[in-house]
This record gives sequence, structure tokens and C-alpha cells, in this order.
Amino acid sequence: MAGLELKSLHKSYGDVPVIKGVDLTVEHGEFVVFVGPSGCGKSTLLRMIAGLEDITGGELWIGDKLCNAVEPRDRGIAMVFQNYALYPHMTVYDNIGFGLKLARTPKDIRDSKIREAARILQMEHLLERKPGQLSGGQRQRVAIGRAIVRKPEVFLFDEPLSNLDAALRVDTRMEISKLHQDLGATMIYVTHDQIEAMTLADKIVVLNGGVVQQVGAPIELYQRPANLFVAGFIGSPKMNFMAVTVDNVAANAVTVSGKDLSPVSIPADVTGLTLGDTVTLGIRPHALTIPTTGSVVGRINLVERLGNETIVNLGLTSGISWLAVLDGDHNLATGQTLQLAFDPTSAVIFDGEGRARHPA
Amino acid sequence: MTAAAAPALKAQRRSLYPSWFYAPAAVIYAVLFLAPTFASLYFSLTRWSLSSAVFIGFENFAQFFREPFLIQGLVNTVVYAAISSGLKVVLGMLLALMLTSQIMGRGYLRSVIFFPVLVSTVGVGMTFTVLMHPTNGMINEALSLIGIKGPGWLVDPKLALFSVALVDVWKGVGLATVIYIAGLVAIPKDYYEAARIDGATPLQNFFYVTLPLSRPATATVITLSFIGGLRTFDLIWAMTKGGPGFASDTVASVIYKQYQAGFYGLSTAGNVVLFILIAVLVVPLTMFLNRKQGFE
Amino acid sequence: MKQRTSIIGGFAAIAATFVVFVIPFLFIILMAFKDRQQSALRDFSWPNGFHLFDNIFEVVKTRNWMMITAFINSTLITVVSVTLLIVFAAMVGFVLARRKTRFNGLIEFLILAGLMIPPAVVPTIWLLQGLKLFGTLHGMILIEVAYNLPFSIILYRAFIATIPRELDEAAVIDGARPLDVFFRIVLPLLWPVTVTNIVVQSVGIFNDFTNPLYYLPGNGNATVQLTLYNFQSQFSTAYNLLFTNILLITIPPLIVFLFFNRQIVAGMTAGAVKG
Repeated sequence: MAGLELKSLHKSYGDVPVIKGVDLTVEHGEFVVFVGPSGCGKSTLLRMIAGLEDITGGELWIGDKLCNAVEPRDRGIAMVFQNYALYPHMTVYDNIGFGLKLARTPKDIRDSKIREAARILQMEHLLERKPGQLSGGQRQRVAIGRAIVRKPEVFLFDEPLSNLDAALRVDTRMEISKLHQDLGATMIYVTHDQIEAMTLADKIVVLNGGVVQQVGAPIELYQRPANLFVAGFIGSPKMNFMAVTVDNVAANAVTVSGKDLSPVSIPADVTGLTLGDTVTLGIRPHALTIPTTGSVVGRINLVERLGNETIVNLGLTSGISWLAVLDGDHNLATGQTLQLAFDPTSAVIFDGEGRARHPA
Repeated sequence: MTAAAAPALKAQRRSLYPSWFYAPAAVIYAVLFLAPTFASLYFSLTRWSLSSAVFIGFENFAQFFREPFLIQGLVNTVVYAAISSGLKVVLGMLLALMLTSQIMGRGYLRSVIFFPVLVSTVGVGMTFTVLMHPTNGMINEALSLIGIKGPGWLVDPKLALFSVALVDVWKGVGLATVIYIAGLVAIPKDYYEAARIDGATPLQNFFYVTLPLSRPATATVITLSFIGGLRTFDLIWAMTKGGPGFASDTVASVIYKQYQAGFYGLSTAGNVVLFILIAVLVVPLTMFLNRKQGFE
Repeated sequence: MKQRTSIIGGFAAIAATFVVFVIPFLFIILMAFKDRQQSALRDFSWPNGFHLFDNIFEVVKTRNWMMITAFINSTLITVVSVTLLIVFAAMVGFVLARRKTRFNGLIEFLILAGLMIPPAVVPTIWLLQGLKLFGTLHGMILIEVAYNLPFSIILYRAFIATIPRELDEAAVIDGARPLDVFFRIVLPLLWPVTVTNIVVQSVGIFNDFTNPLYYLPGNGNATVQLTLYNFQSQFSTAYNLLFTNILLITIPPLIVFLFFNRQIVAGMTAGAVKG
């Protein structure tokens, strides 16, 4: 039984901090996804858990063991690497069995464990091949097989699907999900792909600049992003933003307006907001509609008609551009003026520090 | 918990790439190469009999630049290096161009040109000493067949150094060629196609595409063969022993002669001179050859 | 049209290289087949009769079978020093390519210095005498290792840089210790460049003349190159024997060339270009 506990983890290379104090609890059996833009520190954090990077400060607990100075082999973890990292000079059989061999597992037990892992992943017919003779998807399976044969408490995945083509990525994603259900082990998974994050995770950890931005269930992150960064990062296409001024503050809503926006009242946590404040209004492209009159006006820069939906790039008068994803097909022309409306409850207000002001 | 944690936090895990992997190589290299190199700086300033050394300041170096035959050796060394590396660059490039074209018999040509690189230098030297004999040598006999009176390759003081350098080129041009071939095949075909669309002639192709883009190979060939030329000893020793007179002596052969004669301090000073010569000529040369260019 | 120029050019090139590069070797072979009188003419003629085996026997038994001793010595020096070079250079190349520290610059400088600086001969002799290694095969082997390390390290380092670091890390996660990572993962993967190293360094060390001349005096320790050099005066009137000797010491590199042509060329160019 192993959960993880990260307490104020820090990592720096010389004077350059890359992980700036991460606190996180992972329950046993949970599927946790670290997501963020490249360079956010998500891979570094995973490698610190694996023991491939030294920990500069803080504590890492795996199960009930403090693991800061524990060798990777004694942490009860297994890892699947981005480029598979199969040993090219060994057969699939030896690749899977290498860890057991190093641990001096008797030959017959080793053999049965290797065959068991191969059976789970349906690759018994590949055991005698070398990695060079396998397809990308098969290599990925071998890499996973090498991980499960060690019966680890915690599985670590470092962008395991990024080298697969789109179709295979969907299949393998589902397989990993199924593996999680079958094995019931704790899994930590790093990706920059938010679809992978949304579909796989019990819990998503959004990282930026070495700092945790938000931890939560996938749908919670989509519906109630904690700040501008998470709002912009989760959801595709990206959320639209606009700087607006507070015209009126009510008990549970603010009225805002701006160069491109006629006054509109939006439910929000108003604590500390006063008249004249500049705040940011965020609206997802899917929340925009075209009635006959709307509160946002602009000229169409570009229209993409996909049949089931229409994506409009709208240039607003202040110079910024917004995306709208409209249901169904609309025959719109570039250069045409368009009005967009939205349901105020779907809009989010972010204060001057970028924190979201979701209504209570 | 925190009390127990503190020492664990301090403990550094062992590096995956341990420093002691350097140790065996470092010991051998330091003792047998670096230590003598540093010792040479001192012993070059002494009159030295291996058992005792008398400090005499820069007397050995003064002698080096006083004796005409020693100065001749210094000049010869530079001339030899310049001739042999220059010819290897030009011929290596031409042969590589030939061998990367659609010419017939490429495998044979490449093997034949490269094989001398692997053959014993002493053996090559002795063979060519026989071939270059002024009257009985095959080269001059062949020349006389077409009515040319061949020169005294190794016995003419004006020619001896040049003849040895030619043999050096014969033996070493294969290496220059394969380095150039590696450089030429690494040039993306797009450039030639772009140049063709721009209407470049084959000659323009060579001067504006091939030559600039194979500069790393040129730098390698020049540096390698120039250093090799400056240090050359075995070929000269096998062919002329520095003769006739001192006409083909180089610093390396002077070092050996002074060593044989028991002038250990002077011999070591020769080593230091050669070291300085290489540093003074090769460092600026490599910096010039490897200078950054706009397109890199 | 293009076809025809390439054929004409091909014939011209083949003829020219034949004259320049092949005839000297044919000359060596022909001379080795001749008897003493005919070889004294030093011309490019067909041998009168077959004297190769007589010549070989004559050369081999000269000075108390010195040629045999020399071949044994040369083989011993070559095999042992190349073995040490492989292991030590691979270890250095591995750590150098993998771990970036502030000493890397210094190490790289020392490697380049080793490629450029001529060894200080007399101080080395003095040092070898002090270590009781002067004139011994041990000493000669260590000298060859010291002088050839830089080139081997450069070959290895360039190749190790192409082996993904993820493999080391995967091995660590699998429970490998540093020696396991090096001997079970990295060294097997270095096999192609090890072959190159073996071939290139063997040829170089087998053909080395200058260093045995300085550091390995005495007939008991002669190498094949030294033997040829020493026989030069002895055979000054017997060109058939001189060329038989040259032919004999050309055979080992020829065999290597026939079997490892590709690796030699790859190794020499890679080492040179990276260096």
C-alpha cells in the first residue's frame, strides 16, 4: 500500500530553482497526471520521485518511507520513459527480465514472472525479438511490461505516448487506463497533452514555473479554474480573455464593461473588488453564441466551417482577437461584422492578481 | 520524524557516473605523458647526463638558434609540414570529388588510395628509397624511357626534403581523401538543387557550395596533416636520416640525433622548441579554420 | 554522354592510381620473389624462378631467428595495449560524455594536448629508468596506452553521446549499480566503435617505429619495425631479403584491411572530424 506525500519539495540546478516548493498528497491507487507547458518542471518532479534527480530541499515520502536519499531500486517504483529506453542489445525477454536478474531472482521464478507480464500485455509472441524489430506501439508495451514485472507500488510515466501516432495514442491511452484498473497501483503520469490528462486522471496537477497552480479532478479544473494560467491552459481552444473595468459591485455579482464589451453583470466572489478596478473577463469559445444582438462586437478575421461546428476568429475593436466555436454550420464571411453573446454564469472574473473569483 | 529525517536528507546518493572511472587512464597519462612534458621544461635548461643536471639557463635554446644546421632543421620542419599538408588538402579534395561522382570502379579506387595509410612507414620509406635511386631507381628509369633525365631525388640537397614530403603525401593522401568523402556526402543535396535552379555552372557549384560547406573537413585535414608534418620523424629517418648533410633534417630528427650523441639537455630543448612551434602555428591555424561563420 | 565520360574518366583514374599506388606494392612483391643477383638490379621485372620461400626462411632465421621474437613482441605489445586502451578509454569517454562538471573543460584540453604535443622523449626515458620500465615490454605497453588514449577517448565519447541517457536511467530504475550500467548496458552498445578502436589502434601500434626506437632498445625486445630498420644495413646488398621483410610486415595490416576496411575508414574519419 503506497501513497505519496511531497512536502515542500525544492530542486535547483546551481542557483537556478526549477521546483519551487511542491506540496502534494497522492492516495494509494490514485491516477495522478502532472500537466503543464514544456519547462514547467513536471518531468523534473517525476524524476525526483523516481530518484533520477537529487532533491535539493523538502521531503519525499513513498508509503511510510522517507525516500530523499534512497536509491531508485529501493523506492518500490517503476518507470516508463518517453523514448521507451529499451536495451537495444537484449531481447524483449531479457529487457523485461533485466531488473529481476539484477535482483538475483532465481531463474524459474524470473521466467514465470516474465511470461506473466507478457501474457497481461498480449505479447508472448514477441519475447525473442530485439527492440529494433518492433513497432512503436510494441516497444511501448515492452516498456510497460518491464515496469509491471517489478510489481512496483508506484508507476511513473514520462510522456509515454508522445512518440506514437495519433491513432495508436488513443488505443494505448485506453490500455494504460485499463491497466490501472486491473493492477490498482498508484500511477503518476506526466504529459503536456491535456486530452491525455483529462481522460486518464483521477487528479490533475497543473504546474507552471516550478509551482503547482491547481490540483483537482479534471472537470473541476475545466469548470472552476483557479487562476488565469489554469483557465488558459485547460480547455481547447483556449479561453478568451479581455481586460474590463468594474462599473458596479453587488452582493454576489459585478457589472463590468470595456472597450469591446457593453456592461454586463456577472456572478462572482466580490470580496475586495471596488468600482473602477481593472479585472479580466474569461469566456470559453464554446460559451459564445450568435443572437441578433450581443454584448461583444467585432469583425470576422477568419472562418473555419467544419460542418458540425464553425470556428470564428473575431477581431475586436481594441485589437485583440477572440475565438468562438459555434454549434452547427453558419455561412459567415470574412470582414463581416458580428455580434456575440454569452451566458453570464459561464463567464469567469479574474482579479488583478489573476485569481479566479468564482461565486460561492 | 524530522530528527530522523535530517541525516537522510544530507546523505548524497552515489553518482551513476563515478569519478574513479577516470583513474586508470588518468594515472597512466599523467605519469607517462604529462610528467615528462613538464619535466622537459626544466631539463631543457640544463646540461644533462640523466644522472646529473647542471642548470645553464637558456644556453641550449641559444645554441639551437646559433647553429646553422639546427636553424635549417627548424625551417625544414615548417616547409615539410606546409608542403605535405597543402598537397594532401588539394589532392585529397580532388580525389574525394572524383570518388563521390558517378565514376566507374569507385570501390577499387578508394581501397587502393587508402591502403598505404595502413602500411608500415618504415617499409614505405625503404621501398621509395630504392625506387628513388638516381640511377638504378625505377622512377628515373621510367622517366628516361620517355626521354626525361630524372633528378637525384634523395641525393640532391635541394630536393631531398621535397622528395620525402612527396612520399609522405603518397602514404597519407588516402586519409585526407576519406575525411573529405565523409565531409562531401554530408552536404545536403538541396543546396546543389537550389544552385541548379539558380543556374550555377559546375565550377560555380564547386566554389560556392562544395568548398564552403566542406570547410570542417578541410580544417580537419589541414590540422591533422600539419601537426603530423611538424612531428614527422620515422619517414625521414627511414629515407635520408636527415641527409644529405643536414638538408632534410627536421626538429624531430635533430632531437633523435642529439639524444644519440648524448646531448640530453639539447635534445630536450629541441622537444620544447617543437612543442612551442606546434603551439604557435597550430593554435592560430585551428582558430582561423574553425572560426564561426554566419551560416553556421 | 554522361555515361561515356564516366567510363573514360574511370579508366583514366584506374590507370593513374594503378601506376602511382599499385606498382610500388607490385614492386615489393616481385622483389620478394627474386634471388639476390636479380634483385640487385632493382628493376620492375618478372622473377627468374621462385625464391619467395627461400627468402622468407633466410629473413626469419637472420640473427638467431630475431624475426620470430620480433613478431611475438609486436603482437604482445599490440594486443595488451589495445585491450587496456579499450577499457580505460571507454570508461573515460562514458563519464566524460555523461557528467558535466567544471573539470570537463580541463579534461578536454588535456585530450587535445595529448593529440598535439610531441612527447618529451629524454625526460620520458629518464622517468622510465626511474620506474625500472625502460627497455621493457611493460613500459612500452604503458607508453602506447598513454600516447593513444586521447584518440580512443574521442572516438568513444562521440559515440556514447549518441546512446540515450534514458537507457542508463532505465537500468538504474531496474536496480543497476554504476558498474552494471557500464558493463551490461553501455559497453555492449559500444561494440561498433570498439571494433573501430581495436582495428585503428592495432594498426597504429603494430606499425609504430619511433617509440620502440626510443624506449625499447636492445635486440631481445625488438619489434618488427625495429627489426626491419636494423636489417636495413645487414641486407644492404640483398634487396630480395629487404623486400621480403617489408612484405612480411605488410601482411598483418593487409589482413586487417581486407576484413575491417569499413570500420577503419569510419573510425579514422569519425575520430578526425570530431577531434
